Amino acid sequence: MSDHTVAPTKPASQATQIRLLTVRMLLKVMREPAVTIPNLAISVFFLFTYNGAFGSSDVTLIPGVGGNYLNFILPVTVLFSSISGGAAGLTLVADLETGYFRRQLSMPLSRSAIVLAAILLGAIQVLVQATLILSLGLLMGADPAAGVGGALALLGFALLWGMGFAGYSVATGLKTGNAQAAQAATFIFFPLMFLAPVFLPMEQLAGWIQAIAKVNPTTYMLEAMRSVMIQGWVASSLIKGLAAGGIFAAITLTAAVRVARSKTSRA
Amino acid sequence: MSMIEVSDLQKTFGKGDEAVHAVRGVDFQVDEGQIFGLLGANGAGKSTCVLMLATLLAPTGGSARVNGFDVLKQPNEVRQSFGAALQETGLDPLQKGVELLELHGRLYGYDKQTAKARAADLLETVGLSDDGGRRIGTYSGGMRRRLDLAAALIHHPRILFLDEPTTGLDPASRRAIWEEVSKLKSEGVTVLLTTQYLEEADQLADHVAIMADGVIAATGTPDDLKAGMGADVVDVELADEAEAARAAAAVGLEAKVVGNEIRISATDGPAVLARVMNQLRDLGIEPKGVSLTQPTLDDVFLNLTDGGSGHE
Repeated sequence: MSDHTVAPTKPASQATQIRLLTVRMLLKVMREPAVTIPNLAISVFFLFTYNGAFGSSDVTLIPGVGGNYLNFILPVTVLFSSISGGAAGLTLVADLETGYFRRQLSMPLSRSAIVLAAILLGAIQVLVQATLILSLGLLMGADPAAGVGGALALLGFALLWGMGFAGYSVATGLKTGNAQAAQAATFIFFPLMFLAPVFLPMEQLAGWIQAIAKVNPTTYMLEAMRSVMIQGWVASSLIKGLAAGGIFAAITLTAAVRVARSKTSRA
Repeated sequence: MSMIEVSDLQKTFGKGDEAVHAVRGVDFQVDEGQIFGLLGANGAGKSTCVLMLATLLAPTGGSARVNGFDVLKQPNEVRQSFGAALQETGLDPLQKGVELLELHGRLYGYDKQTAKARAADLLETVGLSDDGGRRIGTYSGGMRRRLDLAAALIHHPRILFLDEPTTGLDPASRRAIWEEVSKLKSEGVTVLLTTQYLEEADQLADHVAIMADGVIAATGTPDDLKAGMGADVVDVELADEAEAARAAAAVGLEAKVVGNEIRISATDGPAVLARVMNQLRDLGIEPKGVSLTQPTLDDVFLNLTDGGSGHE
């Protein structure tokens, strides 16, 4: 321990700053469970109701479902849990509203550490929620064809998709300072979700929905995640999924960096 | 040595027809260990000056150095040098007081143990030892201000920016802040303070600059400024306006008629009063009342800011 009656000579390293600021945000999120619990609850709800509705029906016999409807529906709920990546932007909006964001700007902090901490928070949220949903699904009887690696791949896809939401929420949240705007990703994601092969394989969808589903990135995320659950390791599905999620995340994170750069520089 | 050097500092918001010239070329210096008061009404530009010095706004002209570092070119060195308690306290209601101080201690560069010790010390200094473990959301306005001051001091800054530190506080809290600021001065901390309260500037500041409409209208020690008004004010009340006019004519040009009174501003109020009384007696005029007022910082302020429009 050094002397606390004299001034520190230089600020913490950037890595330490990121770690400390991320821990602060985690504490903040944990103290406001009403913000995080609903999303988790909806994912759990979907898992139970869809499995309850279709799990013991003839739907399981449809080619592409693979006999175990849990394997088919679990990716949907895991993917849904990735919306929690939006915590990144929501936390920044809360800091903008209280003025804490500006306080940080008056300190000798790396500007990127402030925003990176928020994005890391989003990543942790996604991983925790997706892991909970995945574990629940496995307990209920889901068994990934690709084994443990497949389960981990599921988490990886959720994280990738969640980073897309994190980027979106940071960009819109910082730009507008408005929590509703930062959360609007949910409203974009919902219709996209239902214009994809959510409950049934692609081939079973009506023609017009199929047409939309083919250009809907959610489709490729779901199909990649399903492939590890039902078929095993299928390179083509995985590559399409990675491409869809990667492009989404790249676009929103680029926007987030741009907005953050202007928002953290002096007016 | 000058801890704060401001030279032709300017800030314009917006462009073209919509441009707002918040600060139009301000110069001042604050020496080590001094308390410098920026006094002005709302919208005079004092907060904008502080925000530029605190590296939160970029100047559009001129330059400023804090602790020898240029605010535009060496922002991080500037940020490590000052502590600031701004108008908007900027506290996270979900955080606990002690967490805020420990976190900031570490961000400014203390290790964990040192930051803990420093936070405990400061909580005691500002009288929040018993409340540090509670969330900031449960604090009163006065407690937030005190925590904010503690946060500003966490890294033993040599320079402190206080933007209206006592606005909206009750008299007891205000006095507590004044005492703390005086104590910091005695420890050699340089303080830049903005305030709308003349009394505050008069009490605390070694040097005062009065801002109006983005420029410094007057600067000096509080005593200098009062003397610079030139103005003791002699008021003589007479029977009616006609008599006041007659008296004013006799006394000379410097006398103004205000209703049934004449008013004379002068540096040597008592002597002027004696002379005027003699002149009036010679005219056979009997004053109904006489007063001699020596200036306060209020008079300086009101004189410079259009009668204090926009000032409560």
